[in-house]
Amino acid sequence: MGDSKLDLLQGTLDLMVLQTLAAMGSLHGYGIARRIEQVSGDQVLLNQGTIYASLVRLQQRGWISAEWGTSENNRKAKFYSITKAGRKQLTADAAYWQRLSGVMGRVLAMQDGGGKR
Amino acid sequence: MMDTLRQALNRLRALFFRRPLDEELDAEMASHLDLAIEENRRRGLSPEEARRQALIRFGGVEQAKERHRDARGIPALEILLQDLRYAIRQLRKNPGFACTAILTLALGIGANTAIFTVINAVMLRPLPYANPQELVTWRGNESQLDVDDIRAQSGSFFSAGGAVNPEVMDYTGGTEPIGVHAGYVDAGLFEVLGVPAMLGRTLLPQEDVKGGPRVVVLGYPFWREYLSGDRNIVGKTIPLSGNSYTVIGVMPERFAVPEYSVDLFVSLRMVYPEAAAYRGVHFMRSYWRLKPGITIARAATGMAAIDARLAASYPSEEKGRHTALVPLQEWVTGEVSSALWVLFGAVCVVLLIACANFAGLLMARTVSRRREMVIRAALGGGRGRLVRQALTECTLLAMLGGAAGLVLAKFGTDLLVAAKPAALAHLNSIAMDISVLISGLAVSILTGLLFGLAPAWSSTRADVAGAMKEEGRTVTSGPAGHAFRRTLVIAELALAMVLLVGAGLLIHSFARLRSVDPGFNPSNVISFFIQLPAARYSEIPKQTSFRRELLARLNSLPGVDAAMVGDPPLNGSEVTHSLAFDGRPPVAEGDQPEVDTFCVMGDYFRVMQIPLHAGRALADADREDQPLVAVINEVMARKYYAGENPIGQRIRWGHEAGPPRWMTIVGVVGDVKQYSLAQPAEPAVFTPFAQSNESWRRWMGVVVRTPGASAGLIPALKAQVWSLDNQIPLNRIQSMDELLQLSLAERRFNMLLLGLFAGLALTLAVVGIYGVMSYSVSERTHEIGIRMAVGAGRSDVLKMVMGQGARLAGLGVAIGILGAIALTRLMTSLLFGITPTDPATFIAVAVLMVAVVLLACFVPARRATKVDPTVALRYE
Repeated sequence: MGDSKLDLLQGTLDLMVLQTLAAMGSLHGYGIARRIEQVSGDQVLLNQGTIYASLVRLQQRGWISAEWGTSENNRKAKFYSITKAGRKQLTADAAYWQRLSGVMGRVLAMQDGGGKR
Repeated sequence: MMDTLRQALNRLRALFFRRPLDEELDAEMASHLDLAIEENRRRGLSPEEARRQALIRFGGVEQAKERHRDARGIPALEILLQDLRYAIRQLRKNPGFACTAILTLALGIGANTAIFTVINAVMLRPLPYANPQELVTWRGNESQLDVDDIRAQSGSFFSAGGAVNPEVMDYTGGTEPIGVHAGYVDAGLFEVLGVPAMLGRTLLPQEDVKGGPRVVVLGYPFWREYLSGDRNIVGKTIPLSGNSYTVIGVMPERFAVPEYSVDLFVSLRMVYPEAAAYRGVHFMRSYWRLKPGITIARAATGMAAIDARLAASYPSEEKGRHTALVPLQEWVTGEVSSALWVLFGAVCVVLLIACANFAGLLMARTVSRRREMVIRAALGGGRGRLVRQALTECTLLAMLGGAAGLVLAKFGTDLLVAAKPAALAHLNSIAMDISVLISGLAVSILTGLLFGLAPAWSSTRADVAGAMKEEGRTVTSGPAGHAFRRTLVIAELALAMVLLVGAGLLIHSFARLRSVDPGFNPSNVISFFIQLPAARYSEIPKQTSFRRELLARLNSLPGVDAAMVGDPPLNGSEVTHSLAFDGRPPVAEGDQPEVDTFCVMGDYFRVMQIPLHAGRALADADREDQPLVAVINEVMARKYYAGENPIGQRIRWGHEAGPPRWMTIVGVVGDVKQYSLAQPAEPAVFTPFAQSNESWRRWMGVVVRTPGASAGLIPALKAQVWSLDNQIPLNRIQSMDELLQLSLAERRFNMLLLGLFAGLALTLAVVGIYGVMSYSVSERTHEIGIRMAVGAGRSDVLKMVMGQGARLAGLGVAIGILGAIALTRLMTSLLFGITPTDPATFIAVAVLMVAVVLLACFVPARRATKVDPTVALRYE
């Protein structure tokens, strides 16, 4: 994948957000964005602003909840946390992604080998 | 599921809490940036660099907000709301344009909806009977005996049948005797229409017999008005024509006999047994119900067999029967439908013109806003988005126009109903209903989309680079836009031309009709009707002495010259008899000629000022004990005594039993338009009432000529009648002038409406061409300036602009004439005395059209001549 960054597939950001919140507990938007960047090793092409579309979508579906609070350095920020429904959804989505990526991996491996020999 | 529902609700909620949600988002994003900046600072960046980095990582703030909003709400709806707000701002900035566009559409849609409302009520709404699609009727009337025979023989295809004859009875239960519309019915009428009584019951077959009980079924309006809606009326008695009748039922409010307004119903066999037993009196309208699954064609076959049997059994009365079945709905609406469809066609044309005008207005506006569009496109507005915005704007306009149109339609419908012709009189429920409202709104939305699409599309075709290069120069519409608007205007002119020709034909017909000589002098003549009740005046001597005495008393009033006649002209009634001629070979009964017959008393011809052409008029001396005499009219003399002198010849009624009663012709009088001004006079025979042997002629018109205006005389006339018999009402008191106007009312109604629509069309078309010409002149200011600078005079400029207008007008008129030739034959039945392609009308309308259009062009043309070359050359 060289230097270019990964373009996010539709829906993947939502899953990343859910997973991040599941792992980290309550976080504000900036924290979530930073966390995703760090975990991905800065491979994800993420305009941090786009996270807010994802957040409102998840919130409207009732998978995360939000409330205003104070950050570690005393700034007002909106904190998001995953709900019970969100965890259920995460489990389902994660399983789906794992299956999909497994299949994709096998399919691509097959093509790689077959093409050369 | 729950998630989706919750999300939908949240999205909907977001629409309404846009501002607080936006504020919260702003706060959240600001806090995000603060957090990012702080972290960057901690990493040792300068404040500026920390902020720059944070913003880069965040991406476009506005884009992020937009994405957030899209995810949060319903983007399509939000865009719509946004476009609507923008559109409203645009319209408010340019109220002249908005008002013209809205008014244009309002007129088109308003006229259309009003006429459609009437059509909906008259033709599309089913008749208020059970399974109305099964009901049929036919043109000819039947006698009671025919109805009985047909009913007996049609069991395989008709499930029921019934008949009604409209008559007048005297109701004497109020303060004054009044004449009421009585339906002399056959009990089958209620069965065939399938409407049960609201109170009590309808007529039973065992009551519908000669000598049956005097029972009456009341219509709702009569019951409410004259019996104060007494819910316990059943079983009580009311006085009618000298007898007491027991009320057995009241019909529901929405019930009406198909073709007449009827106040109450009595059995024909009971009330009028002499007529019921007589096969030759075809005076009942009959209605029949097809058995389920029987087609009208199948029933027609069956009726043909019955026709043949009746004609064979009763040749003198039933020869030449040919029953053509018509669905009742078609029959009832047939009279008015051709006029209504013509009017509907006319309003559709008006709507088309309005739409063309609307499109033209939008087009002109589009052109003047092209720079705005170009800029918006340059700033990244997608084409779809721009078209959508433009469409939102014209749909908004169209809907405003539609709403205004519906308000206009409401008033228009009320006006139409108030002025409705007699043929619609029995329909009292013409009102806009929900289907009309919906179709009106649908039409307006469709109009907006359809006629807004072309301008919207062309407006966004802007080639950004090209248009920007024109920088500062007026952005013109280009040849395509010009051609489009010119086509629109030509189409408008052509359509208006068609309408104007239609209206012109009606106006021309009406003028011809007005100039028709009715054959009598209608000024200062009052007519009214009297029905001698059978209960007290069944014998001829009694009738004759009543008539003589009444005439004497009326003539004793100062200045009054009164006479009596069976049926005065233009009253929609007449009695015909078959005729036999003395000294000519006998003709088989059924083949004898039919003529109109009128019994008269007093000097009818003098009172009506009907000219005497030969011989003498009927006189008081032609009494019952004198030789039988008759006077005939001019048509009769020409038709049956061509080349002979009719005076002294003898005639008799063809159907008489017993010894022949020969009547000697003593005079010939001028023809009278008996039916309507549009119909030619039929052969007619006038005989003295005193010599009549027809005791059923108890219905008569009294005509009274007065020296001056006659309205004040009415109480005196009533007093004279009631001094003889205070139980006899005076029916339909009217002046002959009124009657004449009334006979023209329907034509006047059609003429006025079509004239109104044509005027509307012309106005709209003129507005259209004025708009195009003004626009063209303002667009060509620069060019005109150049022309003038190089030596063109004002008259050259005037000629140039007027020439352009004249070309449009010429084309529009030419196409319109072709269209009119193709279409006006549809209105042949509405014309009188002229052909649908009457050259005089066509020429007059074309001249009017061209003149008005040139006038409309003159204003912009004059403005063009005022162009100052030095200013024009600098002009943008």
